[in-house]
Amino acid sequence: MFAASQYHKALIVAAFSSLSLSALATPVAIGYQAPLTGEYAQYGNQFRNAANLALDEYNQTHKAAPVVIKFADSKGDALEGVSIAHKFSDDHSIVGVIGDFSSTVSIAAGKVYAETHLAQLSQTASHPDFVKISPWQFRNIITEAFEGPYNARWISQNNIKKVAVISIQNDWGQTASKNFAKSFKDAGGEVTALESFNPGTRDFRAILTKVARTRPDAIYLALMYEDGAALLQQKLQLGLNVPVYGSSSMYEKKLIQLAGPAAEGVKISTTFTASSKEPNVQAFVKTYQARYHVEPSMFAGQAYDATRIMLNAIAKAGGEKASREAVRNALAATKDFPGVTGNTTFDPVTREPAKNLSRLQIRNGDFTSVAN
Amino acid sequence: MLDFFDVFLVQQLLNGLAQGLVYALIAIGFTLIFGVLNVVNFAHGEIYMLGAFAGLLAIQVLAPPAFAVLLLVAAAGLVLGVLLERVAFRPFRRFNDEASLKSKALREATLLSSLAISIITRELMQLYVGADMQSIPQAYLLMTPIQLGPLSIASGQVLIFVTALLMFVLLQWLLFRTRLGLSIRAVSNNRLGALHVGINVNHIIIATFAIGSLMGAVSGIVVGLYSGNIFPQMGFSPGIKAFVAMVMGGLDSIPGAVISAIVLGLCEALSTDFVSQGWSELISYALLLITLLYFPRGLFGKKVERV
Repeated sequence: MFAASQYHKALIVAAFSSLSLSALATPVAIGYQAPLTGEYAQYGNQFRNAANLALDEYNQTHKAAPVVIKFADSKGDALEGVSIAHKFSDDHSIVGVIGDFSSTVSIAAGKVYAETHLAQLSQTASHPDFVKISPWQFRNIITEAFEGPYNARWISQNNIKKVAVISIQNDWGQTASKNFAKSFKDAGGEVTALESFNPGTRDFRAILTKVARTRPDAIYLALMYEDGAALLQQKLQLGLNVPVYGSSSMYEKKLIQLAGPAAEGVKISTTFTASSKEPNVQAFVKTYQARYHVEPSMFAGQAYDATRIMLNAIAKAGGEKASREAVRNALAATKDFPGVTGNTTFDPVTREPAKNLSRLQIRNGDFTSVAN
Repeated sequence: MLDFFDVFLVQQLLNGLAQGLVYALIAIGFTLIFGVLNVVNFAHGEIYMLGAFAGLLAIQVLAPPAFAVLLLVAAAGLVLGVLLERVAFRPFRRFNDEASLKSKALREATLLSSLAISIITRELMQLYVGADMQSIPQAYLLMTPIQLGPLSIASGQVLIFVTALLMFVLLQWLLFRTRLGLSIRAVSNNRLGALHVGINVNHIIIATFAIGSLMGAVSGIVVGLYSGNIFPQMGFSPGIKAFVAMVMGGLDSIPGAVISAIVLGLCEALSTDFVSQGWSELISYALLLITLLYFPRGLFGKKVERV
């Protein structure tokens, strides 16, 4: 009996030491949750491409302490997002998480990360409530609380008094349209219609006809480029000739490809311009294009910057010895991080990023920078 | 109040009619297959999607005239229908005794196998062509505006109307004026009886799938070119609406499904106009619920002969 229990003890000790050994041997990881399949798969795949690019660049300069990224497919579904959050929280090699794509999924998963104390950085979630969940949430995208008023000022500067707003009916679309409408009214303008459509809608003629009745001077769109392309084509067919302004989510080459001549003249604000002369943007566009044979969109730029901000925080927090808390604190201390979507600084109190927007217009089938 | 009866309302009715015809196009093939087999073919939306992709492929590779695109897609639909029957339905049709024909388990098995095929097809397409919408050459886009005074309709809406009418008339002619139609109706009415009088039930079922899928595939390319959206998930949402139209129409009545589909489209456009687009789906499903509560066999379930 005595011998047996000693044997057990030895076994337990051996098990524990091998466990701690294996913990040492595991490289530090970033968890990346994004919609890799399903309706929003094209965004998730751009995130994955951009993140892998940033990771390879990092690992080339940090060969001694390499980092890996573990991707998980959230399918754009909040329930999937929550189960990924549990999985990532239980995986002790993961010291920080990037994602998810939409505010809805990011917030659902964020509630788990808030409890398990794992830093979460979303490349795209712009709902005001996202960073309010807990001190563990970050984002490197400007929020609609910033973009809406910016676009409202832009439109009123162009002497447009009556605007109809069309937005997608999800967390993001609702805040985007409300923030815009409020600041446009504050600037003395009139919002003639505030319409939203269910995700997955392909026929916008009913909404456009309804909007046309209110006789707006311009239409403001807060939606994704694919919906935008269909809407612009149908707008042209219905003969509704008013200028269109859009949120940064529409900045995508594919918009022009899909909508063709219907996209001419559309004005969009953005944080990232692939044709920018900045050397770091040019370098990113060149390597991304060489590897994936397509020009990076704003979404790819956002993910590239998010991954680099996270990698930088891990390096600062001690590389392979980084703890989750140290990574979170290093993220919070991010200041003037130079990225392809502009410099990022997290506000010490609100953790909101400060960034700049620029103005684009579609002319002759391409995005060109405009002053107004 | 008078403001409601303006040109925009007429335009809205036109929009709704066009949208309803889109649902009707899909519902026709869907209802035909249900009527014969008494089982829901959940892969119909994917046949619709594959039809659109087959058309796009033909445009990209051959750049044929628009009419030839439709013929090629029809042929592709025919083949897809036969394949679908072979893969998802035939394996569960091994027995012809009365107990098996009435077995709920067998009906549910085919329902699930068609659902499985639908999910696999959609995901495979997404894997190979990507989830993005495909850009359609401008020359083929059916979005040329046709002005009728202050009203505007698209060339695609005219084509959808003509296609739906043609499909409907041809199908009614086929079902009630031809030998094949007679056999289809016989199989739909009593499969065992049809077998006993010497009808090759297998062939009839394959033919039904081929015709239904041909219609599904043609609707896919017509609607794809009209809406400017071709992508792997495109069959899902209109597929659901066609299903609602079929249930409202009484499950096996093709005229019932067509009328219900048009009613759905009109309700969606009008609810967008008077309430908001967010409510339009709720109104469609509320209509379904009301129908099922007050007309358990659908609006046209009893009055019309089966199929």
